[in-house]
Amino acid sequence: MAKRSQRFLWPALAIPSFAWLALFLAIPFYVVLCIAFGQVDPIFRTSIPAWNPLDWRFDQFAITLDRIFGANNFYLAPITRTITYVVTAVIISLIIAFPVAYFTARYAGKRKGLVLVLLVAPFWISYMMRMLAWVNLLQTDGIVNSVISLGGLLPVEVNWLSGKPYTVVMGLIYGYVPYMILPLFAALDRISPSLLEAARDLGASGFDVFRRVVIPMSIPGIAAGMLLVALPMMGDYFTSDLLSGSPDTSMIGNLINGTIQTPGQSGQAAALLLLVLLVLAAPMFLYTRTVARSETRS
Amino acid sequence: MADLTGDIARLGMSRRRILQAALLAGPGAMALAACARADSSTPTGTAASGAATLQIASPTNPVKWPINPGNEAIASGLSPEKDAVLRLYNYADYLDPGIIKSFEEKYADTGVKVELSTFNDTLEAMAKIRGGSVPFDIYFPSYDQIGKLVLANLVRPLQHSYIPNIANVYPEFLNPFYDLEWQYTTPYTLYTTGIGWRTDRVSEDIAARPNPYDVFWDPQYQEHLAVLDDYREVIGMTLLRNGGTDVNTGDDALLAAVRDALLQMNEKTQPRVTITGYTDLPEGRLDLSQAWSGDLIMAVSYLPEGTDPAILRYWFPKDGAGVVNNDVMVSLKGGQNPVLSQLFMNHVMDAKQAMNNFAYTGYQPPQVSITPEQLISDGFIPPNLQEAIVLPGYFDSGYRLLELPPDTEAKYLAIWQQFKAGA
Amino acid sequence: MTISAAPVDMAMRDPELGRTRRWRRQGSTPKARGLATVTVIYLLWSLVPVAIAVLFSFNAGRSRSVWQGFSLRWYTWDPVGSVANDPSLRSALTHTLLLAVLATVVTVPLGVTLALALDRWRGRIPSGANFAVLLSFVIPEIALAIGLLFMITLLTTPFTLGTTAQVIGLITFQLSYPVVIVRARMLTIGKQYEEAARDLGATAMGAVRRALLPMLYPAILVSAILVFADVLDNFVLVRYLSSDASTETTSMRIYSAARAAPTPALNALATLVLIASLTVVLLGWLAYRRWGKNEGEESSVGSFAGNF
Repeated sequence: MAKRSQRFLWPALAIPSFAWLALFLAIPFYVVLCIAFGQVDPIFRTSIPAWNPLDWRFDQFAITLDRIFGANNFYLAPITRTITYVVTAVIISLIIAFPVAYFTARYAGKRKGLVLVLLVAPFWISYMMRMLAWVNLLQTDGIVNSVISLGGLLPVEVNWLSGKPYTVVMGLIYGYVPYMILPLFAALDRISPSLLEAARDLGASGFDVFRRVVIPMSIPGIAAGMLLVALPMMGDYFTSDLLSGSPDTSMIGNLINGTIQTPGQSGQAAALLLLVLLVLAAPMFLYTRTVARSETRS
Repeated sequence: MADLTGDIARLGMSRRRILQAALLAGPGAMALAACARADSSTPTGTAASGAATLQIASPTNPVKWPINPGNEAIASGLSPEKDAVLRLYNYADYLDPGIIKSFEEKYADTGVKVELSTFNDTLEAMAKIRGGSVPFDIYFPSYDQIGKLVLANLVRPLQHSYIPNIANVYPEFLNPFYDLEWQYTTPYTLYTTGIGWRTDRVSEDIAARPNPYDVFWDPQYQEHLAVLDDYREVIGMTLLRNGGTDVNTGDDALLAAVRDALLQMNEKTQPRVTITGYTDLPEGRLDLSQAWSGDLIMAVSYLPEGTDPAILRYWFPKDGAGVVNNDVMVSLKGGQNPVLSQLFMNHVMDAKQAMNNFAYTGYQPPQVSITPEQLISDGFIPPNLQEAIVLPGYFDSGYRLLELPPDTEAKYLAIWQQFKAGA
Repeated sequence: MTISAAPVDMAMRDPELGRTRRWRRQGSTPKARGLATVTVIYLLWSLVPVAIAVLFSFNAGRSRSVWQGFSLRWYTWDPVGSVANDPSLRSALTHTLLLAVLATVVTVPLGVTLALALDRWRGRIPSGANFAVLLSFVIPEIALAIGLLFMITLLTTPFTLGTTAQVIGLITFQLSYPVVIVRARMLTIGKQYEEAARDLGATAMGAVRRALLPMLYPAILVSAILVFADVLDNFVLVRYLSSDASTETTSMRIYSAARAAPTPALNALATLVLIASLTVVLLGWLAYRRWGKNEGEESSVGSFAGNF
């Protein structure tokens, strides 16, 4: 009797959330597929989804692919732009995050708690508020300009919020870098000091220890951190909207967000979204393998 | 966070199972077709969409829209809905809150509450209205959507007896080309589309240029200018700039030239694309912007204290050969308060309310009591912005942004998509 | 912000970072000092802009960059624009809090039961579900938002866009947090307590309820806080799934107003949400500390923060 109850307990506990995920994760995803493989109404140019996979047509995909690889490949501009921005932002994020996480894990000592609280603080401040803060600072008559011009002495007036790629990249870094610091910290914090001492005792120099022990052991954290910041950046459109608003800094997210409800373009936007997900699946699996390998090794 | 690492790791070891899980969704998904909404996949309800065609109204082809069966006007003399929430759907900053307040006070005995929702562009708005999720009562579009709204059975015909204030507006709106006999629409505002700038930041007189539209391609204003976030306005402006006179053309060669010009514009001046020029200009975020006439009048109230309103200028072709349009109010069929909707339209067209709304939004109502001379002499509009006043004659000389046939619309939207992608 | 700004400030005023000698495991090497400097600069860069935004919510004038004196104008008394008097700002604030409460109340139990099931139930079905959970954790939010939007507008669903749709989207998106956090905690607990309870005659359900669940409380609490704070922050989902003005949230208000004509009232609104978020975290921490004491575990701020 007891055994039976045990056997059914776990599936029973899982039923509500399984049903939830099926209804609100699987079905929405399927609807996006049906739109991407669907047709367009001739008058209203709204999407007519193909509910039956047997009716799926590749028209919308063909248009999308043509705009990436074909003669009029204007999707390529936001795609390359997004990749450039995201890669730059991820690399700079890593350059910022690693020393901060390393310091917190190894040298912060008694103040570790305090530093951690401050590192976590951005999680409790809404993304939009943090962007608003920069919108305020970067206005033409804002604080940043008045600092640069030494309070109006120099005739400097940078229009930061007008189609500047570096402003957008800065915004992305500012917005997402906390998500990189924490997994990095977790990975670095798990390296036991005695292990490092042992390496030193065996004659390794400080740099050697860093290169051959610390770095390899933090790779899962680095990978996790890079993934955790790169994924949301790929779908981001509001950072560019708020800090630029110019087509010149338009990202994939802007393209999808701007056309998903445009008559006649929903299917292409859905197809583009699916292609983005497909491309993102690769780093996800790569990352998974890295983690799996590093775990079996240790 | 760190433990997620472990979870994904474990997951990685069973990638085969992931595929199996993905396949699980298969059979159940087929059942979805059964619950697809008929009304959203076939726009005219049960009728096949291919059978219906979209009529295009224009000054030379005025249209009297059909009244769809089952969608007749409500009877006259009905009492307003009780304790209703009247849902308005409009651009932001495009309706005086005072009108809402005075309407709620006027009909206080019915307990009506007015709720204003806003949209950024009409494409977004149409998508939401067609989705049918929200029972909006009144929508404030341009007339270029009336055909679709009628065809999709989304608007309610008006019962004229609720709207006596129609007598206050220009008589042409009793029989506009886009809605003969004003069966569905009441006029809201009039506006021209031109160029707004600050004379303290732009040293030249843009109006004096042979082709003022060229400023949007002039690198000296790089990053300090904007065009409207409205595909019809930007493409229409580019057509005029290229020497065209048809802002509704479906001609491929002309549209290809527009596309090239817009991509060039991106390259040369990196414009912002926004409809917030009415605050960006006065607050100094922009020096120059494609603008609706009302934006400049509204901009005066957003000037920081101590800034002279005389720095704002607006250009519209002197001969009136520019883009001129009007917005309308329609009662949406999805709304729950047909009586209050029409009473609200009537309220907006009240001479005093209309004037208050003009003062708040900067957009001119088509009230017969308003004369251009008086607007200047009363100090309502500063003389430097007198070009922002819409003259009745403009409606004969100007170009109208008409509803587009679906294939032409698709071409316009494709150009717009490419422009916005920053290609 | 009010809590965290002060210590940063103190650390800055500290005349010699060399004093870190006392609290560092290793000596005050130049490397450590360099890292400390980078960290302090990073923290300043990360928090000072927000502190300035909070400061300007108290500005007496309309400007968000020129200080015109301290005032609560944009919170309370400005007759038109203040959070208290502008109905749209007020409703954005209450709606945001409503969504956060509703989403947390459903997500946490759903996630905890799923975590229990995934951890103890072996087989293909649970590992598939595990994949779905992690998918919801990593897919760009816009994908889920668009999927749900089209599902609701194209299919006959018993609910429409608006509060219900927003809550559903948020729950789906947040479900992974309690799952991941609770599972991590279960790994460290192991099975022995439950087994002991079973040996003493408890049913399977009873063992979970009486032995396992109490030990999971801290993890459940942490995930509830995380979900709550993350919902306050959400933008993409709530925007796509919103209907009319009554379903606008603070993040949507900030997004639409930051590009148009913001007044310090917008900063005030954001500050109020920040206060709500910090209050929940603080209450959570106090509760966490009490539990920690009862169980004699490490209960420093750091271990609390480390959970994220």
